[in-house]
Amino acid sequence: MKIQVNEQALILPNSMNLEQLLVHLEKPLIGSAVAVNMQVISRSEWTQYNINEGDNISLFQAIAGG
Amino acid sequence: MLSDNELLRYSRHLLLEEVGESGQHKLKQAKVLIIGMGGLGSPAALYLAAAGIGHLVLNDFDEIEVSNLQRQITYQSSDIGEPKVEVTKQRLQQLNSDIKVRSINKQMPEQQLSMELTMADLVLDCTDNIATRQMINKACVEAKVPLIVGAAIRLEGQLMFFDHSQAESPCYHCLFPSSEEQTLNCSNSGIIGPVVGTIGTLQALEAIKYFVGLPSGIKNKLKLFDGKSLDWQTFAINKDPQCPVCGQA
Repeated sequence: MKIQVNEQALILPNSMNLEQLLVHLEKPLIGSAVAVNMQVISRSEWTQYNINEGDNISLFQAIAGG
Repeated sequence: MLSDNELLRYSRHLLLEEVGESGQHKLKQAKVLIIGMGGLGSPAALYLAAAGIGHLVLNDFDEIEVSNLQRQITYQSSDIGEPKVEVTKQRLQQLNSDIKVRSINKQMPEQQLSMELTMADLVLDCTDNIATRQMINKACVEAKVPLIVGAAIRLEGQLMFFDHSQAESPCYHCLFPSSEEQTLNCSNSGIIGPVVGTIGTLQALEAIKYFVGLPSGIKNKLKLFDGKSLDWQTFAINKDPQCPVCGQA
């Protein structure tokens, strides 16, 4: 399945949900936020969102500095 | 009614149909609580004081250090060791003696923050740690006070606006549910001054727009700023139905 993650093309070996994607990419689950097609998906919904072909996924971290 | 001096001082606002005399009067009535007087709070406070926001409450508990001066533009070398809120208050009153400025030189516990929110129309979160950000968010949700959140590290900025006077508004916790300090801050990651200054300046712009009645481009949205490319990304934030902070409403 072909998707985009932070504007880079990525081929997933199998279907997966957002939480599985973060684990697959070895990204921290704590402090991360995920958006699919410019819509933030709440942490509580990561396991319910199954990634679709062509999804444009953005991963970013909470930043605290000020 | 505005005085002759005010008509002159704010003449560049009065020329704008988006502000005008009625908008300037709304700014004069406005009460804003700014929490954090660092790289975000410095430009935000200066711009809001200059714009004639009538009541500013400044909160921080830090003293000025030499490493602050690279980006916290309210302060001068001779201020090192002085409390940030006291120096800022003095600068703002020198800038605009028409406005009222009050300082709170301590880390506010939840109860005091809640009490302050009963007197605030809007809050700017200009702090530097997640635990405080979560506490401010929760208090603003409970008090139904709109919250403009800014954050920056390295060459990256984040900006969002949650109008908690609206029951359907999402909150900061819907976006970032963790309160663990795994997050990045200026001390551990570094920051370029104009990046954090850009975000603080935009917090002030959104505050002014809110009071004069202009729609916000960032309501229920997260803006990410890339200081390398100067690109912005905009993400929609929905209320998390499972959110323990705002979900039960």
